[in-house]
Amino acid sequence: MSLQSLTATRRSALKGLAAVLLASAIVSPALAQDTPVQGGTLIYLEQQAHTNLYPPAGGFYPNGGVLNQITDKLTYQNPETLEIEPWLAEAWEVNDTATEYTFKLKPGITFSDGTPLDAKAVALNYDIFGLGNKDLKFPISEVINNYDHSEVVDDLTVKFYFKKPSPGFLQGTSVIGSGIVSASTLARPYDELGDATKIIGSGPFVVESEKLGKELNLKVRADYNWGPDKFAHQGRAYLDAIKYIITPEDSVRIGALLAGQADIIRQVQAYDEPQVNDAGFDIFAPGTRGVNDAIAFRPDNPLVADVTVRQALLLATNRKEIVDTLFSSNYPLATSVISSQAAGYIDLSDKLVFDQEKAKALLAEAGWTPGADGILEKDGKKLDLTVYVSLPQPQNEGVLQLVAQQWAQVGVKLNVLAGDAGSRTLDNLDPLKTPVVVSMVGRADPDVIKSGFYPKNRDWLLQKGGSSDKVASFVDDKLNGLLESLASETDSAKRLAIAGEIQGYVLDQAYIVPFFEEPQAFAAAPYVEGLQFEAVGRPSFYNTWLAAH
Amino acid sequence: MSRYIIGRIGQALLVLWVAFTAAFLLLQALPGDAILIKFQNPELGLGPDQIAALREAYGVDSPLWAQYLQALGNFLAGNFGYSVQGSVPVSQELLANLPATARLAGFGFSLAVLVALGLAFLATLAPFAWLRSAIQAIPSLFISVPVFWLGIMLIQTFSFRLKWISVINPGEWEGLILPVITLAVPISAPLAQILMRNIDEVSTQPFVAVARAKGASPGWVLWKHVAKNALLPTLTIAGILFGELLAGAVITETVFGLNGIGGLTERSVRFQDASVIQAVVVFSAACFVAVNLIVDLLYPVFDPRLRKAKGAAA
Repeated sequence: MSLQSLTATRRSALKGLAAVLLASAIVSPALAQDTPVQGGTLIYLEQQAHTNLYPPAGGFYPNGGVLNQITDKLTYQNPETLEIEPWLAEAWEVNDTATEYTFKLKPGITFSDGTPLDAKAVALNYDIFGLGNKDLKFPISEVINNYDHSEVVDDLTVKFYFKKPSPGFLQGTSVIGSGIVSASTLARPYDELGDATKIIGSGPFVVESEKLGKELNLKVRADYNWGPDKFAHQGRAYLDAIKYIITPEDSVRIGALLAGQADIIRQVQAYDEPQVNDAGFDIFAPGTRGVNDAIAFRPDNPLVADVTVRQALLLATNRKEIVDTLFSSNYPLATSVISSQAAGYIDLSDKLVFDQEKAKALLAEAGWTPGADGILEKDGKKLDLTVYVSLPQPQNEGVLQLVAQQWAQVGVKLNVLAGDAGSRTLDNLDPLKTPVVVSMVGRADPDVIKSGFYPKNRDWLLQKGGSSDKVASFVDDKLNGLLESLASETDSAKRLAIAGEIQGYVLDQAYIVPFFEEPQAFAAAPYVEGLQFEAVGRPSFYNTWLAAH
Repeated sequence: MSRYIIGRIGQALLVLWVAFTAAFLLLQALPGDAILIKFQNPELGLGPDQIAALREAYGVDSPLWAQYLQALGNFLAGNFGYSVQGSVPVSQELLANLPATARLAGFGFSLAVLVALGLAFLATLAPFAWLRSAIQAIPSLFISVPVFWLGIMLIQTFSFRLKWISVINPGEWEGLILPVITLAVPISAPLAQILMRNIDEVSTQPFVAVARAKGASPGWVLWKHVAKNALLPTLTIAGILFGELLAGAVITETVFGLNGIGGLTERSVRFQDASVIQAVVVFSAACFVAVNLIVDLLYPVFDPRLRKAKGAAA
């Protein structure tokens, strides 16, 4: 869905009707007739304060919302076509085996501290993102795999070498975690990068001041002139400044927006959407284009080791009821492992049906019989499972409670725990304690599937040799082999085919139950124009302007 | 007197060390630790090898006593370490949150005292019995109002509907009005209740009857004879309540999006951010000790009998 039509469909009824009439052909002129206005401060209400602003930590939504304004990336991923386009790099070359990448930078780019953004600076960034730094405690970036070293060819040419074919790297240079920062930022220890004033980037905005945990002020960079090549708008951003104010309470954020005290807010729950729409304000819900909001099974746990049991649980989950009860049209029902807007998506809705009777039959076939309390039993063990609520996922507790009700109807018990962060983190590493885990990750490249399932990455299924030493034996060599070839296949068509094969395999094995395509939901005042979101839903305010109001 | 103060300071240091050690041990008893919570977090997407390397770099798996000695040594040297979750020095976190808390607690507490005094005096001096009992019922009402609800109601009414006060991006003093009221309401209630009860008790004393018999007006009797004596126990409670306010304003802080020690404590406990918790615990203990010391030193000012007792002992 294009940005324009996304905007239009969320308008009030009257405007909506007009937009629908225009949507088919001339949506852009309808919005473009107003010329952008320069100036003004955008008031942005965030639910949570940012944490560490080391670029690879940009996955945390509040961090991404800041980093996206103050840093630029080598390349730009067009959120509509998912094509990789020039940004800081005007051109690049990849060798046949995808082990060598050469980037040619645009001349004249500087960081906000005046130092040049040249090949040396880029090499320094990627050396740290790709290898980490033990002394300064910098972790490795999740999107950079098999990194070996960099080479500064000349002032504006930098070359990266990889130990193994890494076709996902080009897209990796466009993501939120690959913002380029100055040498002075990377000379500080990781432990100090929670202070936004220490983050020196080359982006269209610069950190002016910060009240830690409460308020962050960005001001426009007047000499900025290196936005993504394909943007119609070049030069400085329209806004003069952006003020982030941390407003944890949902009702205060929405009330303040509707009362005219703020221009845009992040994190709007589906049940609050009508209130926003009724007031003539706009909801924006860009998708995160990765592995869907889902739960994954840990087959090392004997209760869910049998594929028949997992398939029964998949069939027993009424996913449509979950989406209809708790969410809105901004949360599309999942039709595969990854989002329908993700690269490599294939429609697998036929593997994701709700069939309670079949679920019961499969459980009976697997040898589970109802006990005295209605919960299924086998060899004296109850089919009693546990999952922890995941706080970043929208209304996750509600989702899991509904799943628990649905599974109860086929005789399976699901305990939904909130728990403190320590217990949750530890228990989620133990398949016996958590046979089920909430899973979701956003990134608009097929590598995202590997990020979720591969034992050396997030390891949702908990395989032996992965993140947990509590796993007795579970390994899926076939899955791992597919994930490895996904990460190293240099032929793009073949790579997408592998992505499709993995989606089918994961659902045939019923490793996960995908619920919906997770968006990031924002609400904005009607006079906020030109809002953009990068491919994984982080806002970009470079093209944003405030119309007369 | 100076010996008394030195003794109290010695006691205070002991209290601070016990608080530090207790916090350290309690944190160790919790499942998991700050580094695990931070880096096993799906948002970073780190693999097992990287997490193991980071654990080693942070030295979280070294023996308990070594960690304790290191933490204590750093603390004594004035190095509070870094917040793992926030990735800033702990001193910076404290500086960002202390002044806000001091202001909110100071004004909230002052308003609460004024409200409590006002209620107590009105409850004694109001003309009709029904009015007096109505006023006496107000503290029970105040104490049962949920702070969360009160804060949101004040915002909805005065900010969003009437638009008198801005909650987002307000002026420095404007931003304090609603939170101070929100905080003062539940704090004023116990103060007013204790004051009322003490006023009732003192009023039955013979010396009050004498004052009345001499023809003093009710206001004069209350102000000159009753209130002075009724204030003493209230002072003790006030000291405790003020100490609690420093870390206990977390709900008010969250609703109004304010910085403060309360919110900082809540966050760092949630993430087991040990360095921050240690610093907050020791700081809060220091505040409690200081406030109680001040209260103890104030007693003789209000009550000449205590002054004499000290003089006799010396």
